Formats: sequence, C-alpha cells, structure tokens
Amino acid sequence: MQRLLTIMMLGAALVLSGCASKVDYGDAQGRETVNTDFGSTDLQMIAAKMVDDMLVFPPIVQLTQSRRPVVFVDSIKNKTTEHVDTESITDTIQSKLLNSGKFRFVDMTKVESVRQQLDYQSESGLVDPNTAAQMGRQIGAEFMMYGNFSSIVKREGSTKDVYYKFTLKLMNIQTGIIEWANEKEIRKTKTKSLFGL
Amino acid sequence: MSIFRPMMALLVALLLAACSASNMGQMAVDENGEMVTQVHSNNSLLASRLSIADLRQKKVGDLLYVQATLENGWKFRLDFQYKIKFFDADGFELEPEAQPWRQVVMAGRSMNSVKAIAPNPSAVQFEIWVQE
Repeated sequence: MQRLLTIMMLGAALVLSGCASKVDYGDAQGRETVNTDFGSTDLQMIAAKMVDDMLVFPPIVQLTQSRRPVVFVDSIKNKTTEHVDTESITDTIQSKLLNSGKFRFVDMTKVESVRQQLDYQSESGLVDPNTAAQMGRQIGAEFMMYGNFSSIVKREGSTKDVYYKFTLKLMNIQTGIIEWANEKEIRKTKTKSLFGL
Repeated sequence: MSIFRPMMALLVALLLAACSASNMGQMAVDENGEMVTQVHSNNSLLASRLSIADLRQKKVGDLLYVQATLENGWKFRLDFQYKIKFFDADGFELEPEAQPWRQVVMAGRSMNSVKAIAPNPSAVQFEIWVQE
C-alpha cells in the first residue's frame, strides 16, 4: 500500500511539474513548428534556397567573376492571408549575398537620411571640406531584386494544409531583362490528434 | 501490483522518447578533396536508417559547392533536418549562425540529394550534420 502511495505521489509530482512555466533559450536555427503560420524556419529555408540557387546559376557566376554588381532590393509583394514581414526575408537574402562577396547593395530606405547627412556635411560649415562626402558620387544600381509571396490554405475537418510559394527575380534595370528567377515551395500540414493533445 | 511495473516502464519510455537527443551525422572533406571523417551518431536510430551514398564538391566561381546523396534504408518515410557547415583552411567555421537546419522528407527506401554553397570563398572544408 505504501508502495502504491509512493508511485501515485511520483505521478502527481510529474503532472504538477508539467504545469510550471519556464523561459528558456532555444536554437534560433532549429525547426519551429508551433503552428502552420509562416515562421522562422520558413524564412531561413527560403533565404538559403534563394542564395544557393542564385550563386550557382552559371550566368550569375560569370557576371560576378570579376566584379561585384550593385543591386537594389524592391519590396516583396505579400499575397498571403497572413501578415508577413517580407523585408525580413529580403534582409536575410541581402546579408548572405553581401557576405558572399559577389554583390553589393544600395539601400533605398535610407535615401532621405543620406541626403540629410550630405546636406549637413556640405552646408553646415562644421565638416572639413576635404573629408566631406560629395554629392552625385553614388553608384547606380545595375539590378533590381523583387518578388512575390503567395499561399494557398485549405481546411477539411481537423486538417489544415498551407502551401507557400516564394518567388524572387533579378532584373537588369537598364535592359529590363530578368537575369535570374527562382521559387521556393513549402507545404505545412496540421492534423489534430484524436485526443486533441 | 504487477500492473504498476509495466506502467512505470511505459512512463519512463515515454519520457525518454520526448527527451531524445539530436542525431548527428558528420562527414568532412579536406582541401585535397579527400574524405577525412566518417559518419558519427549519438543516437543509433537515425544513423541506422540514413546513410550518405555519395559526396561531391566543386568550385562554382570561387565558392565551394557541395552535394550529398542521402539514402533512406528504412522502408518508411524519414523526416529529418540537415545542416552543412563550412570551414576555412584553419578550421574556423564560417558564419555558424547563418546556416539553418533544412527540412527533408524522404520516402521509404529512396535517395535524395542535398546541396549547399559556401557562404564565402574562404571555405575549403565542409561537414554535414543531420538530426531528427
């Protein structure tokens, strides 16, 4: 009887310990499957696939052999039903491409700040003219990166299926020719278990 | 009384299954293109089901491009993740936080190629890690 009591207490302790709240650090690169919504794993998989494919595409390899073309990143059109920070995806892609040493980028979101700084350096009288950055010396982007992000969501009973498609393109701004394009597809399915656990 | 012993054993088994450590496979190629390490695992289950059938590398421009052909020797679907780590000539890992775990789903008794390109031209070695 005493043994039974010990086992029951042990069981109760295990159940109660499951209710304690706890904050912990996890692997930021690890798989995240909290739900079927767009998540960190999806972002990382998309960025890795796009960068890998772009850097091994023969015309791009040839293009970046002896120079580092300048690219401007346009927005990614979010056609999904979710709120997705697509700029975060392109930021990751941009960082990887920049660190590869194959491309350089211009940041169009900072044009106004740069203009203010240039005005300050040239007009305030506080900056040594020999060290002041000059107007009209920026390098124009040769390529534009842009794309779409779409999803198809289906529900049937307790099953939810989400299909994501991310498309990225690289266009030559002068000729209008798309030099490279690729897609990444992701399918996530959620099925409720019999006991809802 | 006899019912409690199997119940406790089942409970322990369930707890251990929930806490199982990542399975890791590892393979590396040195700067001469020779395989220098074999597959390691801290959990024999994934290692017994998954093997590396072929390993290739080439230079794309000045970047190291690698391909591993993985073979699922199990008759059922295998759901796992892989990560390819790149190292420079001094053995320093390149951009360790920029390499994500990539999801792979393989049908039973099938082969699948996984590829990755080095984050920058200084990569000369690589390792493939897998986990469930």
